[in-house]
Amino acid sequence: MRRVHIWVFCINLLGGFQLLFAQQEETTISIAEVDSLEINEKVPLSLRFGIDLYRIVLSQATDDFNGFEAVGDLRLGENFFLATEVGTIEKTKQIEQLNITTSGSYYKLGFDYNMYENWKGMNNHVTIGLRFATSSHKQLLNSYTILDRTRFWPGSDLPITAGFATGERANLNAQWLEIAVGFKVELLKNIYMGLSLRLNRLLSDKIPENLDNVYIPGFNKKTEDNKFGAGFNYTLTYNIPFTSKRN
Amino acid sequence: MDNLHLKFCSILFGLFFLLSCERDDICIVSVTESPDLIVLMLDAEDLTRRKTPSNFSIRAIGSPKPLPSIFNDSLKLPLKIQENITQFEFIQNEGSENQNIDTIQINHKRFDSFINAACGYRSNFILEATPIIILNPGNNWIQGFTILKDTISDETRAHLGILH
Repeated sequence: MRRVHIWVFCINLLGGFQLLFAQQEETTISIAEVDSLEINEKVPLSLRFGIDLYRIVLSQATDDFNGFEAVGDLRLGENFFLATEVGTIEKTKQIEQLNITTSGSYYKLGFDYNMYENWKGMNNHVTIGLRFATSSHKQLLNSYTILDRTRFWPGSDLPITAGFATGERANLNAQWLEIAVGFKVELLKNIYMGLSLRLNRLLSDKIPENLDNVYIPGFNKKTEDNKFGAGFNYTLTYNIPFTSKRN
Repeated sequence: MDNLHLKFCSILFGLFFLLSCERDDICIVSVTESPDLIVLMLDAEDLTRRKTPSNFSIRAIGSPKPLPSIFNDSLKLPLKIQENITQFEFIQNEGSENQNIDTIQINHKRFDSFINAACGYRSNFILEATPIIILNPGNNWIQGFTILKDTISDETRAHLGILH
């Protein structure tokens, strides 16, 4: 039944069309009138912002990760949100023979669609969304060892820490799309806890000279010959209902 | 309706976890590693002719390991990564009365090229202007050298010829 009400609400919004369909919709319109109080309570436009807790905890817990992510969304409709994430990351990673420090920032912009139908007075979301994301980063190759399976000469397995291919590759960037699936639960009035999982599809990235983007801030690990990546965030957000639209 | 949504979401989440399984970085064995120096033993009188020295053997100076090759007219010598010189003892008539050891030094520069994240880098070498010097002058059986290819980035062609 609630679904019908929402439809009626949407149809009512069409205003002029209402007259056209008045004959056919006669019965449902009468239901809408009974339900008019609930419609008045709806607050479509609101701003929510917060931080990602996971990256903060990880930064405190480990030496080789330092990151922060701010999240925000703007509620444009009943179930439609304009969403964004902005972050900065510095991460040192040992990948087999390489030791690389990646640092940079990223921002993601897109939307979330809420699929969860709340009971009256509740305000939780199960969302699916899409983001376009871009990063600006640099990579520093700290050390590496040469691929040598026989190791004929002693010392050939020692890491090379200076000169040769080591050093910084600046002015790198990447662009990708994310499918974000997540939920947000209202813990206290206007305070939300949320979790979202992301599947990333790399569109393009600027390859560093004589190296590869082994890690892209925001995209996370990039594997060879593979355009996909994954990520997640665990957010705490505060909601400001700054406009109350009444019909 | 809510139940359906929950089911839909759990399927999505499940799919996501499947997709997000991280692939391991494994360096496959078929990836070629740093190239060795390919040396041809040439006849000093006819540079187009290969000639295997009699009772020929090579020792690497500074490595306890034996050289991983059979000693004939075509040799595969590993070069040092940590240094710009590599020294070998070329031995003729080994074990016999007229044994002759020539100690040679190969001068090279190194440059590393990226393979992938799992394998890391491969070392390539460039032979210096004087690629080889003999460290024990006098009574040498090696008579000269010729550079066939000064960039050692693969093992498809010989890089250096040793005349004797």
